[in-house]
Amino acid sequence: MSAEHYACIHCDLPLAIGELRGGQRALCPRCGHLITACGHDALQRALAFAAAAIVLLVLSNAFPFLSLKANGLKSVMTIPATAAELHRDGYTTLAILVLGVIVAIPGAILAVVMALVIPLLQRRNAPWLVPAGRLLFQLSPWSMVEVFVIGVIVSLVKIHHMATVVIGLSFWSYVGFSLCFAATLANLDRLQVWREIEARRT
Amino acid sequence: MTAFPAGTAADAGLACCHLCYKLAPVAMHECPRCGSSLHLRQPDGIQRTVALLVTASLLYIPANVLPIMITTQLGNKIESTILGGVVLLIQMGSIPVAAVIFIASVLVPIGKMVALSWLCWSVSRRQKTSHRQRTVLYRVTELVGRWSMTDVFVVTILVALIHFGGLLRITAGVASIAFGGVVIVTMLAAESFDPRLIWDHLGDEDD
Repeated sequence: MSAEHYACIHCDLPLAIGELRGGQRALCPRCGHLITACGHDALQRALAFAAAAIVLLVLSNAFPFLSLKANGLKSVMTIPATAAELHRDGYTTLAILVLGVIVAIPGAILAVVMALVIPLLQRRNAPWLVPAGRLLFQLSPWSMVEVFVIGVIVSLVKIHHMATVVIGLSFWSYVGFSLCFAATLANLDRLQVWREIEARRT
Repeated sequence: MTAFPAGTAADAGLACCHLCYKLAPVAMHECPRCGSSLHLRQPDGIQRTVALLVTASLLYIPANVLPIMITTQLGNKIESTILGGVVLLIQMGSIPVAAVIFIASVLVPIGKMVALSWLCWSVSRRQKTSHRQRTVLYRVTELVGRWSMTDVFVVTILVALIHFGGLLRITAGVASIAFGGVVIVTMLAAESFDPRLIWDHLGDEDD
């Protein structure tokens, strides 16, 4: 493919970017913005990490996340129950917001990645490639998976002195999920993905 | 004189699609690759950013004044604010965690609002210096915004985990919604600011 004309999204400098090989990156010479990065086997890796992330996301919703033992009392937290608890207290907005950014949006992103990357890897066209590409890059800023992991760690430090905290299976699943999810998105460079979509559409 | 290469795609009537980065004539109105609407610059970027910043700073008041978390222990209600929580953590000796909460809930949102306001102001008076620094500042602002949600998540987890009936119970406070709103609105503000405005008028130094 010949060099494609492009303008830096951060400073609007007109540029021409040729085809990149694995491991190469293109930076804007004026403002330093990382325009695109071409990974090694990026689509295969994205698919593998997305498949792992989906399994781990399901697991992290199915088991206890954390449990607390104090004076013979026990309390168990799961991710779905967290939203239910907030809803019971009258904080439905907060429940939707939290569940949205830690489970629903990341889950939707993973589904979109599957629908997009599988046809691209098979080098075939599909009618949903363009809407899937749009959805992927519209949704991705709104996932807060790694922020939630930090929130969990802060909570653990806050409560570890007052009771025995038992870390559940879902906690480890969610940590694994956050790593696989980050790796999925890291392998989906915006310009490279759209070049692939365009190549399949024509 | 500037050491930067001059010129913008907008000068040639070309718009870079904000969603798929395709370069196309703005006269096409719709991106030929992904179908998003094409604009040379984000429509009303500065106005929208300023409006959202005003909203965020108004929401930031209840977020800090009202309780974010209510602890009920044997009928005793203890309400704690964001800053109260930080002070408590320092008293407990958890300095690193106190620092995380302070940075995420106080420094990041305030820094973000100040940075975006300054960017809007510098762009509207056509500042001719530190283009690159201002672009980097915008990039950092865009990147760190989500991390402010940490405290909202902490409250959520404590609410879900600590419910021992009448003995000890934690419920969320109104500030948690207000603070979640601050995070969302500042993220929208960063998204509606167009960093390309920083680089416009780069060539016309003489006026």
